[in-house]
Parts: sequence; C-alpha cells; structure tokens
Amino acid sequence: MTGWATRHWRALLLWTLGLFAGLTLLALMIAYSGIYNIAASAGHPAWMERFLQLGKERSVKFNSRSVKPPKQDSADLVPLGAAHFQGTCATCHGAPGQPVNPVFGHMLPSPPDLQKHAHHWTREQLFWIARHGIQFTGMPAWSGAGRDDEVWAVVAFLEALPSMSETEYRRYAGGHSETQGYSAGTLVSQGRPRLDLTACSRCHDTAGAAPPSPYVPHIGGQNEAYLRRALHEYRDDSRQSGFMEPVADDLDDEQIDRLAAYYASLPPSPRQPPRPSSPRLREQGRQLAEQGDRARKVPACLSCHGANGRSDYPRLAGQSEQYIRRQLQVWRRGGRHKTPHGAMMSVVAKRLTDQQVEAAASFFAGRPPQADRVQEEASAP
Amino acid sequence: MKTARPRLLPFVALTLLTLAGCAGEQSAFAGLGPVSSRITLLTWIMFIAAALITVFICLLLFVAIAGPADWRRQLTRVKTVVLGGIVFPVVTLSALLIYGFSILRVGENLVQAENALRISVVGERWWWRVIYRHDDGHTTEAANEIRIPTGRPVEIELSTADVIHSFWLPAYAGKVDMIPGRINRLHFSADKPGIVRGQCAEYCGGAHALMAFYAVAMPPDDYDAWLAREKADAEPARGHAGERLFLTSGCGGCHTVRGTRADGKEGPDLTHVGGRLSLGAGILPNTPESFGRWISRHQQLKPENLMLPYDFFTESELQALSAYLKSLE
Repeated sequence: MTGWATRHWRALLLWTLGLFAGLTLLALMIAYSGIYNIAASAGHPAWMERFLQLGKERSVKFNSRSVKPPKQDSADLVPLGAAHFQGTCATCHGAPGQPVNPVFGHMLPSPPDLQKHAHHWTREQLFWIARHGIQFTGMPAWSGAGRDDEVWAVVAFLEALPSMSETEYRRYAGGHSETQGYSAGTLVSQGRPRLDLTACSRCHDTAGAAPPSPYVPHIGGQNEAYLRRALHEYRDDSRQSGFMEPVADDLDDEQIDRLAAYYASLPPSPRQPPRPSSPRLREQGRQLAEQGDRARKVPACLSCHGANGRSDYPRLAGQSEQYIRRQLQVWRRGGRHKTPHGAMMSVVAKRLTDQQVEAAASFFAGRPPQADRVQEEASAP
Repeated sequence: MKTARPRLLPFVALTLLTLAGCAGEQSAFAGLGPVSSRITLLTWIMFIAAALITVFICLLLFVAIAGPADWRRQLTRVKTVVLGGIVFPVVTLSALLIYGFSILRVGENLVQAENALRISVVGERWWWRVIYRHDDGHTTEAANEIRIPTGRPVEIELSTADVIHSFWLPAYAGKVDMIPGRINRLHFSADKPGIVRGQCAEYCGGAHALMAFYAVAMPPDDYDAWLAREKADAEPARGHAGERLFLTSGCGGCHTVRGTRADGKEGPDLTHVGGRLSLGAGILPNTPESFGRWISRHQQLKPENLMLPYDFFTESELQALSAYLKSLE
C-alpha cells in the first residue's frame, strides 16, 4: 500500500484536488440554483436534522468544558432566575401553564420547552448556552457583559424548572406583582399592558414586602437621583446587567423620573434578618466603614455612603449581605467600571481584600435602613 | 578634519544643554546653606584633584613609553610603585573620607547646638506627607511643601509609608533614602530666603518622576506668622457650595480639612492647600483652574496616582470645588 502510494503520489494528489474542486463547484451550484428550500415551514430533511443536532451537541459539550460552576445558594437565586425567564425567555420557550407563543413556535428550529429539555444538559452546558447563545437558532447571547453571576441565577432556575408546578412557577416568576383582569375596553383600546417585562415588583420590594430574593436590592427609600442615574446607565448600556438592561430599555425619560420619584418616596421595606456573622467580622466592617484602611488606601465607606452622601450615591444601610458582596465582586472582576461613578468605586473595590468585602457587606446588612436618615435629621441645623 | 567638525557640533550642543540644567531652583551647585555649600566645595575639590591626577598619570604614561631611558628606569623601581601606587591613594582617599565625615557632622552639630526645627517627611506613592513637630509636642500636618525659617538649623526625619523613596533637596542638602521600617535624618539650614525645588530621587513606581515638592525659606518673623496660620483650622466656609460638595462627594474619606468633618488620612491634608505653591506634588501651579484640571483629569496629568477618579463632576461643580479649595489658604 505504502509502496503504491509512493509510486503514484502525483496522480493521487491530482485526483484529490480534482475531487475537492468538483465538490466545491457542486455546493456552489446548489446554492446558486436555489433548489435547496430554506423555508422554516419546510423543516429540515431527516439527514440534515441529524447532522445539525450532532454539530450543536458536540459544540456545546466541547466549548463548555472549561466552565466552572461557583458555589451558590440555588434556592435564593431561583426567584431571580424565574422572574427574568418570565420576562424575556418565556415568549419563545413557554413556561409552566404558558404554551409557547404560536408565532415563535413556528421558528426553525422551534425553541425547546425547557421544562422537558433542561435535564438534557448539565449545569455547565446550560450556563454556556444561556451565556453565549447558539448561532442560527435565534437563541441570543447574554446581554450583560461580565455578569456571569446573573447567568448562574438563570441556571439555578432552569435546574429547578423540570420539577416545578404551575403554582410554584407563578409564585417565583411573579414576585410581588399582581395580575388583574383588564376590562374589555382597556384591552380593545390599549392592548394588554406589558406586565411581563417591566413590572418592577416582580423582583423588587414593595412598601410592605422585601424583595423575593436576597440577591435583589431594596430600592424603596433609595436616593432618587441614584435610582434615576442607575436606570439611565442600564438604558445606555454603560452599566451591565442582563436583568436590568432589557427592563430599562423600555423606559423613556419621563417614566424613569416617575419611577425614581416613586421608589424614593416609599418607606424602606421590611428587611430579612441578616445572616449571622462573627463579632470580629462585624467589628472589622465597622472600622472599614467608619475609618477606612489607610495602608490599603481605602477611604471610609461612610464618607460616601453615610448620612451626608451626595444624592446620586446609593444608600447601603439594610441592603442584604449577598447583594452587597456580589456587587463588590462584580466591581473587582472589572464589570462595573464603564460609568463615571462605577469607575471610582471600581478602584476602591479592587483595593479591598476578600475578607474586607465580607466585612463591609456584613456591616451594611446589619445597619438599620433608617440609620442614614435619623442622623441626617439630627445634624440638620 | 573636515568630516570631524560637523560630528562635534551635536556633542557640544548636548553638553551645553546638560550644563544649563545645573542652574536654577533644583541645582546641586546652588549651595544656599552651610551644608550644601560645603558639599559643593567638596565636589569642586574632588573634581579639580581628579583632573590634576589624570593629567599627571597621562604624563607618566608618556614618559613610560617615550621618555629618556634613565627616567624610565626610575619608574620601574619598587620604591616608586609603593609610593605612587599604595601610599598616595591611601593618604588621598583617607583624607577625603575624613573630610566627608566632617561635612556630615556639620549638619548634626548645627542641630545639636541650637534650637533646631524638627519636621517629619513621609514618602507616599507619589507625594510627601509633611509633619511639623512643635516644641510643645503637638504636630501640624501639611503636604508637598516644606517651609523653613532662614538661619535656623533644620532636622528632617525621613520615613516611608510604602516603598523606598529618596528625599532630595539639592539646593540645601544632599539626598537621603526613605527606607521602610527606618527613620533617616537629614540636617541643613538655609542662609537666605528663597524658593527651591526638591524631587524623589529613587524610582518608586509609575508616577515617580512626578513626585516633587517645593521648599520655601522665609525670614524668621514671616515664618512664625505663617506657622501660626498653618496650625489654625481652616476658616469656616459655612454654606459654601464647594464645601458642601467636598463633604458630600466623599473627598473627606481620604483628605483632612481641619475644622470640618473631613478627616481622611489616606491622601494629602488639604487644610491650607490654597496657600501652597503647587498642586499634585509639584506638578501644577496653584490656581483655581489647576484645581479643576486636577480633580477631573488627574489620571492623565499624573498617571497611576492613587486618587480615585472623579469623572462625574459637572463644570459648575468643578468651579465651586476649585473656588472652595483655593479659599483654604
């Protein structure tokens, strides 16, 4: 065999080149002639279907092999993932009690019902698909750059989805939002209000209730200028979040102003008791907040986030420990430096040690939300 | 020879240009105090003696190659080698060493003999924390500028908060390193009033070249008046829009303005920043415009410096802040 190939290598090479050129020409002719039907309604021939499935499965498996799942409290993240799923994914994928919208059901490939199919993928593969999307299928990549933490919340939800009842799903995805019957007149003249995506109370607090997940900030009683700034930053894509960007994108300036004013005027919502932390950590947090860390050039947290901070700086007292810690981690990874305010905090966050991040989060979580205000009134002349 | 002349021109130009750097406020030849003038004298003695010795060696070399046979025989004698090669260098270098030590003693004697002024200077990346130590044990903190009275010996305690820096004030004294975990001392005094510049002389990271300061020598009466003002808190500016901005924006987390809530120790004390000669550790003149430029663009003006970027102040906010800071005299 080898002897034959050595003797006839010239002919062999020519035949190979000729075959390759012939096949390329054939492919071009098929494409140019237009005889292959790309209609979504025509479906794929069985051989093509198998070929594409094979390519997709192999690609997802191959590319997701370096994904490392973080340790996380899945239970706390499920409501967050569910609310996002309901707002942006359910239109195509359907949800318990909500069949796929017939328009999107006629896509090719049609988006899978994830209550049945989520088990098909591992945790790492689900993350990879939600994070990067899939070409030619209509599945988009995650819209918040550097916010893998959010994608993991969706993964936590997707893992819980197959065993979820309709009632459970509604409870998780709806949060504090209320669905009400609209009169025929309203429906006829205005359509159904888009409750799904922009209802803030799906994830955030109301006057009487804390947010459904500790990973969501309390915004009732927050500074008005800060809330306005945050929504503008989400809308112009300078602050990254796959959860908040699609929500803010739908708001116009006037709606942003009204929402900021509304939430600023709410009384601080009830807090879940903070997770117990060691007295040493709390003391370290207090020192960092009141005095900073001179050796690491960290200014005192309260010099900006205290009673007398600018109104476009956020109040932190009473935010959950999980939320503060997670945001500091996003800053440390470089995910929040594109806005001017974020660029400043980014420098501070990167100077903190891991221990100081925990300490600061624990300090602010244990501080009553009224702490800032009481001082403010007392110090007013 | 025709081709050599044009090549010589750039060399001469470069030499002249380099020599031009020897004049002015940061010159080692200025010799504005007893210590630095003695250092300058030592420099000249060493330079002239070295030149003479070099000429003498050249002559010997010439004699060894082309001199009369009798002279050459003299050169090869053991006695000549011992005298010229061992005794002469040992005597000369020992004399220079003793003279050098005696110059170091001048400053110390000055300080011990009279009522010396004590100042601590702490090198920070990339600025100078200046602490005036009063006789009653109290201290007053300032930054990036050292004021001294003329005719009075000064002792500067040099230390560092982070890496190795070197404190170099050529017009008054030599340079001394600031070494982590150590306190070094530098002594000098100024003969007459004047303003000179100093510089960090040990590479200490990104903004090393932009770590400078000014030293101002003042007549004793003026100095006492200045020190009394420097000791005092900032004049209250209640209701000043700039002060409110300064406090609410978190500037006080790193900077102190005595007499206000701002008590941060991370950055330079700004209690009397409006009265200093420069901003940003010797890199900008102290004008209201400079304050605005520094606050909004300090990372471009002094790359890698450790102040937080404040890119969100509006033009009017910057003006209010600048006016407030400039008023802190």
